[in-house]
Amino acid sequence: MERKKTYIEDIDRGIYDIKNEFTYKYKADKGLTPEIVKEISKEKNEPKWMTDFRLKSLEIYNSMPIPTWGPDLSDLNIEDIVTYIRPDAEMKHSWDDVPEEIKKTFELLGLPQAERESLAGVGAQYDSEVVYHNIRKELVDQGVVYMDMETALIEYEDIVREYFMTLVPPTAHKFAALHGAVWSGGSFVYVPEGVDVDIPLQSYFRLNAPGAGQFEHTLIIVEKGSRLHFIEGCSAPKYKVNNLHAGCVELFVKENATLRYSTIENWSKNMYNLNTKRAVVDKNGTIEWVSGSFGSKVSMLYPMSILKGEGARSEFTGITFASQGQHLDTGTKVVHAAPYTTSTVNSKSISKDGGYAFYRGLLKVAPNAYGCKSTVSCESLMLDNKSKSDTLPIIELNNDNIDIGHEAKIGRISDEAIFYLMSRGISEEEAKAMIVRGFVEPITKELPLEYAVELNNLINIELEGTIG
Amino acid sequence: MITWKRIKLENFSFPKIYDYKKEFIRLEEELPLGIRLDKIYDTVDKTKINWLNTSEGNGLGKEFISFVNEFYNSGVSLYLERNSLIEKPIVVEFNMDKENPTVVDKNIIVAEPNSQATIVFDYSTDEGVEAFHNGFTEIHAGENSSLTIIKVQRMNDISQNFDTNIAYVKGEGKVNWITAELGSQISGSNFTTFLDEVASESNLSSIYLGDGHRKMDLSYSMIHKGPRSISNIESRGALMDNAKKVFRGNLDFKRGSRLAKGGEEEYVLLLDPTVKSDSIPALLCEEDDVQGEHAASAGQINENQLFYLMSRGLSEREAKKLIIEGAFRPVIDRIPLEELKQIIDSEIERRLVNA
Repeated sequence: MERKKTYIEDIDRGIYDIKNEFTYKYKADKGLTPEIVKEISKEKNEPKWMTDFRLKSLEIYNSMPIPTWGPDLSDLNIEDIVTYIRPDAEMKHSWDDVPEEIKKTFELLGLPQAERESLAGVGAQYDSEVVYHNIRKELVDQGVVYMDMETALIEYEDIVREYFMTLVPPTAHKFAALHGAVWSGGSFVYVPEGVDVDIPLQSYFRLNAPGAGQFEHTLIIVEKGSRLHFIEGCSAPKYKVNNLHAGCVELFVKENATLRYSTIENWSKNMYNLNTKRAVVDKNGTIEWVSGSFGSKVSMLYPMSILKGEGARSEFTGITFASQGQHLDTGTKVVHAAPYTTSTVNSKSISKDGGYAFYRGLLKVAPNAYGCKSTVSCESLMLDNKSKSDTLPIIELNNDNIDIGHEAKIGRISDEAIFYLMSRGISEEEAKAMIVRGFVEPITKELPLEYAVELNNLINIELEGTIG
Repeated sequence: MITWKRIKLENFSFPKIYDYKKEFIRLEEELPLGIRLDKIYDTVDKTKINWLNTSEGNGLGKEFISFVNEFYNSGVSLYLERNSLIEKPIVVEFNMDKENPTVVDKNIIVAEPNSQATIVFDYSTDEGVEAFHNGFTEIHAGENSSLTIIKVQRMNDISQNFDTNIAYVKGEGKVNWITAELGSQISGSNFTTFLDEVASESNLSSIYLGDGHRKMDLSYSMIHKGPRSISNIESRGALMDNAKKVFRGNLDFKRGSRLAKGGEEEYVLLLDPTVKSDSIPALLCEEDDVQGEHAASAGQINENQLFYLMSRGLSEREAKKLIIEGAFRPVIDRIPLEELKQIIDSEIERRLVNA
């Protein structure tokens, strides 16, 4: 039987790869100096404490080494990356007022349609600034705040100042420091006590400019007994030069509150995605991460849950799909810092066509965190032997009253399973695709519907004729 | 100066090495024809055996291996000719006392095709002696050979132990490791096996007991290069008092190890709130047609079991000892020396019951 071979270049990334002409209102010089950082801060009319914070972060950035324990970052030269680009558009609250070009991009990505149909609020960031933000009136009436970080810095300065980069301090690592120095855009969400936001909020980050960096900051505070589902989508068209995404997400989940944070990253394959995400959970609160990593050239992404209050809970569901030319180093960190906390990690990865999927995880139990429970499960599927797949879960236990289980498996699609399906009249290709879909199903069912459909399509395209 | 972050070995430097003057080879009967056992001083001439050309693997680190190569004061070389076989285990025992407080042993074992042997290494100390052990054991297992290497470390609580073991296994050859880590203040041990050819096989069973302020860094690696190679790691341990252990298990499937199978299982019983237990089980894979699996779990002694035993009149300590022994038993039973088994049993008993 003749087999079709599909390679990643052949696949039409369609809407993701549509580039707009690169127009901007203000663009910082390439590279990073105190002058550029001051310039960005001035351009944004920031309070002095923020300007000082940026300059301090820059100092920390310059004093820290590039991490060498993960993927090779030697191709990434910050001197070549433009850290700040203000698109030629003002922030709008009405979709009709967004400039035509930008509107078209997001419309192709399905954003306004999603808003009308199934979302409580939407934010759209184009390059370094948020161009559109809207939230349903009912939520505003209940006191829910959903706006871009820049506006929040002015309107809710006290709250921002209290929380901003306290969970991910600039000293966390080099790229957190870089973020602290040049952050721009992102979303601010505040859910007051006892409010149940029953339909999700969504922010979409689009990087259009070549050779640029996107450094959006997301700060979410969910007060006591509240509930929120937040969706983050990311994409960028492919250019020949390297782009950098060093965002930062800080989530504060208070007593009895629940936050679900879903991310689908479909960056183009010239992107360095070095994102930092952390959540701190108070008593009986819950954080649920759903994370899909498909794009980017290099990813280093390890969402971290700090279970600070008694009975806090975290759940991580992640899928990584590494294809040709991709090195996706992903995983999760869980710190059990209080008694009777529980965590679940469920990670799956697929690698093909020379892709490299690396699961790197940390599970840490503090001496006082007695009675805590955790299960970690990692599964990897390799579709050919050009690819690589590694699993490195680190477990650190510092008391005895715990129940910890960890499992990992690696392998390929078993011949017996294929034979069985083929004996039922299913073609070999379809049998393989079915098995892969079954493998990722526990994850896809956690994704928002349109992303689940997209993931299934991706698997269909990528698998056609390539395995065996 | 050497620093290991996880077990807080800081600015370590090697002590002065004294001669080891005691006899360490114990032979109860004549060796059969075709088997040569010598002290390392008249070592195997590696250049004469053309397949011993490999020297991969870092073990505990280059510093530790080169220290052995430079300063060894003891060790054996064992050469098994083609088709040779010895049924009784060969015993190598080091007992560190006041006059001989340091052992730096270099051991080379070469098994030509179809040969078979069992070798027991036993490291112990006299009470009150601040002893030091740093060893390097290199194993070359030829086609269809079968070697069982047993390492028992039961040094006292003020001693230091470092041990590197590297095996290279040819087609259908087999290396079984059994290791019991019961002593010393700081202990670093590394077992690395290269499954180089078709259907090379290695199994590793380990037990460890951490009590007092003991710190252990145990690392086990199986590197699959040959197609259909098989490996299995099974580790069971118990930690009490202020003990700390780091377990590193690596299953590494290199490109070309088609249809290889590797399994790794770690289970640790945690007996006191003050213990520290780190596990780093890595699964590395460059070949799609393999099966790799690892599992690690940790927890307390099952309360129902404990309650049952105590309702039969056993004290809590005794009941716990019985449960731990039950977990260790399958591994201890694989040690082919009655005498050593009893020593291990009473050692465990002493630590668990009389502590």
